[in-house]
Amino acid sequence: MKELIATVKQNKLIAENIYAMTLTLPESVGEIRGGQFLNLSVGDKVHLLKRPLGICKVEGDDITVCYQLKGEGTNILSQKVQGDKLAVLLPLGNGFILPESVKNVAVIGGGVGVFPLISVIREHLGKVNFHSYIGFRNKQSVCLMEELEKSNTLTVTTDDGSVGVKGNAVSAYFADENKVKADLIIACGPPIMLKVLKQKLIEAGDNTPCLVSLEERMGCGIGACLVCVCKTTSGSNTRVCKDGPVFKIGEVEL
Amino acid sequence: MANLQVEICGVKFNNPVIAASGTYGFGREFDEIYDISQIGGVSTKGLTLEARLGNPVPRIAESSSVILNAVGLQNPGVEHFIKHDLPWLKEKGVVVIANVAGRTLEDYEGICKRLNGLVDMVELNISCPNVRAGGMALGIRPENIEEVTVITKKQLTKTPLIVKLSPNVESIITNAKAAERGGADCISLINTLTGMVIDIEKRKPVIANNTGGVSGAGIKPIAVRMVYEASHAVNIPVIGMGGIMTGEDAIEFMMAGASAVQVGTANFYDVNAMPKIIDGMNKWLDKHQIKSVNEIVKTATLNG
Repeated sequence: MKELIATVKQNKLIAENIYAMTLTLPESVGEIRGGQFLNLSVGDKVHLLKRPLGICKVEGDDITVCYQLKGEGTNILSQKVQGDKLAVLLPLGNGFILPESVKNVAVIGGGVGVFPLISVIREHLGKVNFHSYIGFRNKQSVCLMEELEKSNTLTVTTDDGSVGVKGNAVSAYFADENKVKADLIIACGPPIMLKVLKQKLIEAGDNTPCLVSLEERMGCGIGACLVCVCKTTSGSNTRVCKDGPVFKIGEVEL
Repeated sequence: MANLQVEICGVKFNNPVIAASGTYGFGREFDEIYDISQIGGVSTKGLTLEARLGNPVPRIAESSSVILNAVGLQNPGVEHFIKHDLPWLKEKGVVVIANVAGRTLEDYEGICKRLNGLVDMVELNISCPNVRAGGMALGIRPENIEEVTVITKKQLTKTPLIVKLSPNVESIITNAKAAERGGADCISLINTLTGMVIDIEKRKPVIANNTGGVSGAGIKPIAVRMVYEASHAVNIPVIGMGGIMTGEDAIEFMMAGASAVQVGTANFYDVNAMPKIIDGMNKWLDKHQIKSVNEIVKTATLNG
C-alpha cells in the first residue's frame, strides 16, 4: 500500500454519466488483486477526502478505474485530462480471494458494481470459468462489453429491456435454467441488489459460497478512522475498507 | 535540522506533531505506510470503559475545505486497548496519549483510575453527550468542566491530564480557566465544530446522526484564534489543533501559543501528512535560522 502521484493517461466517457480513467503509476505497488480498490484524490485542496474506486483493469503500471458522476468530486475528476497529476493510495482492501479448487464462478454485477468484478475476471481468465449476469439500467448505461464478453457465458439485463433480457442481474441468475452449477458466486452492486441476492439464496436453499463487495462512505481508507463500518451477523462492526470490501454474504447484514 | 524536541508536563516528545484522536486509530494502519516512531505522539481513538459500536452509517460528509464526522466513539474498550494496543505503541517509542470519554462522571473516574501510570498522558474528551449534564456535553459549561477535571485529576496521580476543549461554547477563555482551576496539567483545543450537510436531492442530512463534527483546513482560523485566546488566559501548556495541513500551519499554531500540535483530518487528505508536516516545520525553522522549535511558542503579538 502506497500513496503515489499518478499521471492521467486517459479519461473518457464510456456510458451515460460513466467515465473510465487510466492512471499511470510512477512505480509498482506490487500485486493487485481483483476486487481491491484505490483512493483517488480529486486534485485540489477543497475536497479533503479521496474517492474510493474499485480497480477495474491493471495493465503493468497502468490502472483503470471507472466512476459515475455523483457530485462535485466526480464532476471535477471527469474534467481531468492526459498529463494531469493526482494523488492515489493503493491497493486497498482484501479483494476477491478465490479458493484454488474453484472451477466455475457465477458473477453477479449491477451498475457501477460491475467494474471491480471485471478485474476479477481478468485476473483469473483461462484458469476459472466465469458465468456472468450483469445488469445495467438501460441501453445508455451499458459499457465495457468487450471486458464482460471474456466471460465463458454472459447474460446482460437492463431494467427497461432495451438491451439483453428485461430485468436485473439477480433475477437473471435465478431464472437461468441452463446455468452451470457454480462453486462460488461473486457479486457487487447496489445495496438493494445484494440484499435481494441474499434473500433469494436463502429462499432457494442455495448454499453456494457467495462473496459480496460492499460500498460505504469512507474516511481514511486504511482502517484507522472507523467511518465505513457495516454490521456483521454476529452483531459487531467490521471495517469495509480494511476487513472488506469483500465479505462472505452470510457474515454481513445487508 | 532544527531541534524539534518539546517537553510538556515533564513528557518528552521527539517533535511537537501528535496524531489527533479518532483519525489515527492506535497507529497500526499508518505504521504499514511509514514508521510511526517518526511522529511526536499518538492521541488514541477515544476510549470508553466498555466497548462501543458507535453510530449508524453514513458517518462522514464533505464540504468545501472541511469534513464532518459522527463515528460515535466506536472503540474496543479500555481493557482491550491496554492488552492489545498499548504494548505495541510503547514498543514504537511514541508518546502515548489515551483519549478517554464517558457517559457519566463515574465513567471518566473509572477509566482514569485504570489508565493511571500506564500511559504517558490522558486526554479527556468532554465533548460527547453526557448523562450528568442532561445529555449535553460536559465540555460546554465551565462548572461541568471544572468538576470532571477535579474528579479525574484525583485518579491520575502518576499521569498528566490534558483537558480537550470544545469550540461550541460561549467563551473559550472561561472554559480554559475552568480546566486549569480544576487541576488540568494541559489543555488541548479545538475539538470539532458541530455542523450539518444536507443532501438536497433527498432533503436529508448526509450523516445518519444528522450533525457531525467539522474539521479540516477550513476551521483553522477559528482554531488559531481560540488557541491564542486560551493560551494567553492560562498558565498551563496548550496543545493546538484544527485544520493543520502543512508545516507552516503547525508553526502558526505554535506562534499563537501552542507548545505542540495535533494533526487529524490531514491524515485523510494525505496518509503521509504527518511526516511531511514535521519536515515542513524543520525547513521553515532552518530557513529562519531558528535552532529550536521552542523559540517560536507564543511569539505572535497582536497588531497595535
